[in-house]
Amino acid sequence: MLFLKSMPVIASPTHYIFQIVRAGITFLACTQVEMPPLMGIEFLCRVADILSDYLGELNEDLIKDNFVIVYELLDEMIDNGFPLTTEPNILREMIAPPNIVSKMLSVVTGNSSNVSDILPGATASCVPWRPTDVKYANNEVYVDLVEEMDAIINRDGVLVKCEIYGEVQVNCLLSGLPDLTLSFANPSILHDVRFHPCVRFRPWESHQILSFVPPDGQFKLMSYRVKKLKSTPIYVKPQLTSDAGTCRISVMVGIRNDPGKTIDSIILQFQLPPCILSADLTSNHGTVNVLSNKICTWSIGRIPKDKAPSLSGTMVLETGLETLRVFPTFQVEFRIMGVALSGLQIDKLDLQNVPNRLYKGFRAVTRAGEYEVRS
Amino acid sequence: MAGIRLHVISPLVLVAVGKCARDPSVFVRKCAANALPKLHELRQEEITSAIEEIVGILLNDRSPGVVGAAAAAFASICPNNFTLIGRNYRNLCQILPDVEEWGQILLIEILLRYVVASHGLVKESIMSSLLCIESSHSEKDVFDVNVALEDNGIPSRTYDSELVNLVSRSYIEGLGEYLTRSSDTNARSSDLNGARFTSGKTNDDVKLLLQCTSPLLWSHNSAVVLAAAGVHWIMSPKEDVKRIVKPLLFILRSSGASKYVVLCNIQVFAKALPHLFVPHYEDFFVSSSDSYQSKALKLEILSSIVTESSISSVFKEFQDYIRDPDRRFAADTVAAIGLCARKLPKMANTCVEGLLALIRQELLTSDIESGNGEADVLIQSIISIKSIIKQDPSCHEKVIIQLFRSLDSIKVPEARVMIIWMVGEYSSVGVKIPRMLTTVLKYLAWCFKSEAVETKLQILNTTIKVLLCAKGGDMWTITRLFSYLLELAECDLNYDVRDRARFFKKLFSHNLCSQVPEETNALQENKDLPLVLVECIFRKQENLAASEPINDRFYLPGSLSQIVLHAAPGYEPLPKPCSSLCDDLGQFSNSIDRTTALGEEWTGSSSNGTDDPDTSGSLDEESGSNYDSQQSIPGLSDNSGTGDSASEGDRNCDPLIQISDAGIACSNENGASHSGFPDLEGMMSKRALESWLDEQPGSSSPSASEQIQVRQSSARISIGNIGRQVKAKSYTLLDPANGNGLKVYYSFSSEASTISPQLVCLETFFENCSSETMSEVTLVDEESHKALDLADLTLATTASSLTSQSDLPTLVPMEEITSLEPGQTMKRILEVRFHHHLLPLKLALHCNGKKLPVKLRPDIGYFIKPVPMDMETFIEMESRLPGMFEYARRWSLVY
Repeated sequence: MLFLKSMPVIASPTHYIFQIVRAGITFLACTQVEMPPLMGIEFLCRVADILSDYLGELNEDLIKDNFVIVYELLDEMIDNGFPLTTEPNILREMIAPPNIVSKMLSVVTGNSSNVSDILPGATASCVPWRPTDVKYANNEVYVDLVEEMDAIINRDGVLVKCEIYGEVQVNCLLSGLPDLTLSFANPSILHDVRFHPCVRFRPWESHQILSFVPPDGQFKLMSYRVKKLKSTPIYVKPQLTSDAGTCRISVMVGIRNDPGKTIDSIILQFQLPPCILSADLTSNHGTVNVLSNKICTWSIGRIPKDKAPSLSGTMVLETGLETLRVFPTFQVEFRIMGVALSGLQIDKLDLQNVPNRLYKGFRAVTRAGEYEVRS
Repeated sequence: MAGIRLHVISPLVLVAVGKCARDPSVFVRKCAANALPKLHELRQEEITSAIEEIVGILLNDRSPGVVGAAAAAFASICPNNFTLIGRNYRNLCQILPDVEEWGQILLIEILLRYVVASHGLVKESIMSSLLCIESSHSEKDVFDVNVALEDNGIPSRTYDSELVNLVSRSYIEGLGEYLTRSSDTNARSSDLNGARFTSGKTNDDVKLLLQCTSPLLWSHNSAVVLAAAGVHWIMSPKEDVKRIVKPLLFILRSSGASKYVVLCNIQVFAKALPHLFVPHYEDFFVSSSDSYQSKALKLEILSSIVTESSISSVFKEFQDYIRDPDRRFAADTVAAIGLCARKLPKMANTCVEGLLALIRQELLTSDIESGNGEADVLIQSIISIKSIIKQDPSCHEKVIIQLFRSLDSIKVPEARVMIIWMVGEYSSVGVKIPRMLTTVLKYLAWCFKSEAVETKLQILNTTIKVLLCAKGGDMWTITRLFSYLLELAECDLNYDVRDRARFFKKLFSHNLCSQVPEETNALQENKDLPLVLVECIFRKQENLAASEPINDRFYLPGSLSQIVLHAAPGYEPLPKPCSSLCDDLGQFSNSIDRTTALGEEWTGSSSNGTDDPDTSGSLDEESGSNYDSQQSIPGLSDNSGTGDSASEGDRNCDPLIQISDAGIACSNENGASHSGFPDLEGMMSKRALESWLDEQPGSSSPSASEQIQVRQSSARISIGNIGRQVKAKSYTLLDPANGNGLKVYYSFSSEASTISPQLVCLETFFENCSSETMSEVTLVDEESHKALDLADLTLATTASSLTSQSDLPTLVPMEEITSLEPGQTMKRILEVRFHHHLLPLKLALHCNGKKLPVKLRPDIGYFIKPVPMDMETFIEMESRLPGMFEYARRWSLVY
């Protein structure tokens, strides 16, 4: 069963099953005939995204509590085995998200349905992602660069692979039908891009300009990849030596290239090899936790100015084992506010068809993605 | 309303949908499109054409939302009605980027099929290698393709053109058709000839499709990206295929499940055109959060795209992976290293050194740790070394020696077996190895007792191999070692080992008796028969070509079938190029092709499907029994018998068959005259050896006699030489050890029974291996004679026997063999009914008044019966087949 659990596509004699696992919940879809498997998987991901958007987060109890909503959503999202409405904005208009008021109303009036009676206008418009009559008192648009750094540092401490996976997230609170143009100062560093359906392809092909009619509210405008970066903001230096049945571990963490902003919520996580019986780990900064499944977490937080945080300790190997031959991989998490490590810069954001009073905001944040240090 | 699935109201719904399809509101039209598949599922013949008409109207719509839904309807209702697409092709292409994402996925596929069907493949695309192959009609001739490629002006591209050919061919033809085609390469009519190609640069439709799908490579829906990539992979010119690489690699960053699917597809792309992915090898470095399947796929891709320039960094990565806590993954890595080394022979030395170091390191701990994973890594690393050495044994002499040395410390039986195999295989390589041999063999003999069974068998084999090529003074030592080993083996607990020891002893009885090697040489004239036989058996490995067959299956990129590696129900390969132009003709000739091919397989021996299989079957039987009567009296007319077999052996080109046939004649002779010549037993056990080694199934007398039989019948119904290629595998029904010297074996003769089509014909051979005459030999069904002992039956077989009791007789009563002389072989045709299940049939064999229980195991292949049918019925039946892999079975998912 463990094997099946990790297979995204399962072939049974009569059916094919696609599965994804999100937050401990397995979403299954099944088919009897040939279809693009990614279509199934992508749809499941979309369902999971929208459910977690509606319910705030995703867990078993929440789904049980809001079963009616989940059912209504699925009913709208898929029809006769084909995805129908998956645009979150339209769904939001059709089915009101759960909140206290609606719960009260349903209890008082006895009307349990929260599907709206009127058809959302956007279904008929040529921009299906945007409702037709949006009105805001304050017109605001926020553009966030959210970047994740993927890196692999091998046993010799050499940076094998370092790249940024970034997203441009826009929170658009604009009245009417605005038309936005976003341009970057240095679009040439982008290795590859993917766009929200609202982005027009022609301007990007010719001038590398993003021209779009935004959906309402928060959405992911584009995602991009910047490859072959040369340095990482922090270093992690693990050292494991083993002799006569015990293993000494010491891990040093420090700042390598100061990005100019503080690096916080640094967390180091690693899985102890199965041959280790017990571990005694201490650190001079932060807290260390060893869970029963041998996952060890060292939360550092911010790196102090006066000293370099280090973790040290001894581990007892299985009886009969002299030296350690399999080594753990350390997963590093960190967050840097205010900096996009890829160096991507937004040049300007132009708007058309918008009222004159307008607030534009830009932010950037870099997190660690699949940031691994092997030992 | 369409959701109400009642046949009664469907005409009403159809009218409503037809009205809605012309409604001014976009949303209404979209809903109408969504309702169409539901209507269609009611399967009412009279409304189908009306539905298709509405689909046509909706496809012509201006609004992208409607077109998306209409595309979905089209795909489920009439995926082959290309005229509907043809009318709106341009409009559809232009609207494609604006269609909603789910509709895009289906629309892309529809457009691709339409273009292939109407315009054929693109000349500049990778699919054009198909053209080269087809026009030259030489499937395996890689050279031809390379020449053709150089003509195209791309001389530096090195890729596995045979593989590309296979991939493209399987896209178009589908797997089943491909197999039947390749089974009769000569007979096929190539309907895919060069005229069906178009140029991507001049054809506007193709250009338009490529233009419209290329922005979709930026879509944020990974399914759309993959579908668009598939179009470019098939249609775009070679120079432009690289456009799909970056988007494909980018969608690797999405969720774990889609990562696996994308990797599966990239794997095929990378195998066919490795140079595409060469610069991006870093993207396939494994991260610890990947699932095991993704890791394994990444390793496979890495080893197929590795080049001289990237090999060093890839190897550094591999070194890291070997220390991964997941030992399964580490073993895979070791295998990948072996693959890389075979791909780049220059790196072989580095690889071998690394692997040897790894083995040494493993050895330090493997005796203490009992973990399964460690043993796997060790075995895998020896397999890798073995495959590297195989390429060029002479320059890895030192490695081989090192492995011999480490034999002492390696404890895993599988690993030991492989090293011992290498001892035998490379015993004559280089200078030092021959000198070491005696020491190694002494060591092996010393530890023989404590070995596992497979190691013991391998030690025996190896000693013979060494013995065969030993020279001079070593010969004596080795011979003595060998006889010592044989003595040990003969007293072994395992009877496989004992049997093999006895067999070898008989084979080498000359060499052992006459311990002076010169004498052996001198007497070679007389005794070369067993020696040649031994040479044939043990030297065979060298002749085997190192080419590994490409047994992967390929399906369209992005399809479900590509992931599960079988054709899912509803999977359709690309339509025949230009099939919509000369539609009827092409499909007709093609289906004829297929019918004859299938007919050939079914009837088995007659190449002409129109022949009545029943008559040919009975002819075969007659001629078989004719021959039987000859064969059963070799003692009386041994001259004619020998001549018969010998001449028959001459006609075969395989030397092994020749020898064995002569041997049988010889043994028959000897058996009749009771001369006690030592050859006899050796020949007897030879057959057992064949069943062990499984090298030449059915090369012993049953197939020989069958071949004669086939040839005799061929004189009458004039079939080709196909029967000679078909060798029936023979199974042992009764071992001489259990049956007091009576040996019974059977083979499935693919003949139709004369009594009932449900009966399966078996050729059963009764052979008397003892020295006494046997009488009243017959086989009966236990169930019909109620005198059976149920005590030792297991539960499962009891159940099966209960069910079979209620049915018809399972065994047609056999003609009794009144007496069987020693050494004599009799043949009977058994007609058995297996009730279409695979459980063995319990029969009772009566012999000399005693009853022996035997089990007859069915072979599923022979449940298939030839069914004569004309073209219309065939097409009709074929259309009813739901899919190759559909069978009902309860399946519950437990977590």
